[in-house]
Amino acid sequence: MSLFKLFLIFTKIGAILLGGGYVILPIMTNEFVDKRNLVSHDDIVDYFALAQSLPGIIAANMSMFIGYKLRGKWGAIIAMLGVTFVPFWCIVLLASVIGGLTENNYVQGALWGVSAAVIALIVLTVREMWQKSHRDLFFYTIFVLTVLTLLIFKLSPIQTILIFSILGVGYKRIREAKK
Amino acid sequence: MIYLHLFLEFFKIGLFSFGGGYATIPFLYHISQVYNWYSLDELTQMVAVASITPGPVGINVATYAGLKSAGIFGSALATLAEMLPSLVLVIIVSKLLRKFSDNFYVKALIQTLKPISCGLLTSVAIGLLKPELNDIKALILIGILLIMSWKSKRDPLFYILISAIIGVLLVFIKTLV
Repeated sequence: MSLFKLFLIFTKIGAILLGGGYVILPIMTNEFVDKRNLVSHDDIVDYFALAQSLPGIIAANMSMFIGYKLRGKWGAIIAMLGVTFVPFWCIVLLASVIGGLTENNYVQGALWGVSAAVIALIVLTVREMWQKSHRDLFFYTIFVLTVLTLLIFKLSPIQTILIFSILGVGYKRIREAKK
Repeated sequence: MIYLHLFLEFFKIGLFSFGGGYATIPFLYHISQVYNWYSLDELTQMVAVASITPGPVGINVATYAGLKSAGIFGSALATLAEMLPSLVLVIIVSKLLRKFSDNFYVKALIQTLKPISCGLLTSVAIGLLKPELNDIKALILIGILLIMSWKSKRDPLFYILISAIIGVLLVFIKTLV
């Protein structure tokens, strides 16, 4: 597999990736397992799990894992550039069009609706994360503390993450030691 | 200077955001408050455009935010900066693979990051909801979208398009009355 071919495959994946995280696994499985037989199904599932447990964007992480598997470091870099190629130009083009339209009444109406939808989507994302997590007392405690801290003190997301991950991991370490 | 700040902010997003594209919103929300790169209204507009264009939402919104902040060079910089931590981590983790996911600290960290991510997003939802509270139509629309999606979740695209259409129709009705 040449790097150029790899770039083209990931460019195509970037272009058909629509609708958030649901489609990543089926698209990657179809492209690399079913069609090309370059990666085993077990590997794909592993990468998907790992891509979610690393920070960053899941689809990009997943692409880089596959790129690395196929062509090492350069494969990962090419996968990263490929998967963002079409989306990048779409955003740049669309943004230049939208700028001139925002004065229009109908466009403002559409944007009004869209900002409501974005709030609903954020609530739905929280719900989905919530359902996918193993919720015990630890989960609820950290969740409530995070929300309260953010509402009362104006901490940045990073400060919040650092404080609570140190507290959380420290707590788990102490409990593990007691066992 | 803006390029350096832009790079650092988006590098941090790539390193600290956890749980998919929408998990980057708390960071972008924070950026809109600290820097004058874009307003809150522009942020929701950016998220919407990022959701209806192809590609990962979290990357698209970085591209857009970079563009708003510092033009096309800024947009390339923000996009790459956000993926850079992942690139390094993916290469390291690829070498360790199973050892990585069995490690006690990695497991403990992931279990801790889940409720933190939920908390971060919840507080952003509260922050975005506050200005909408005196807009009863927006609240009804959000309520309807949530009820519609409660049983079976659809593509984000669906919610954004249907809400945009409702918004346009409301303007149309207003011009008739």
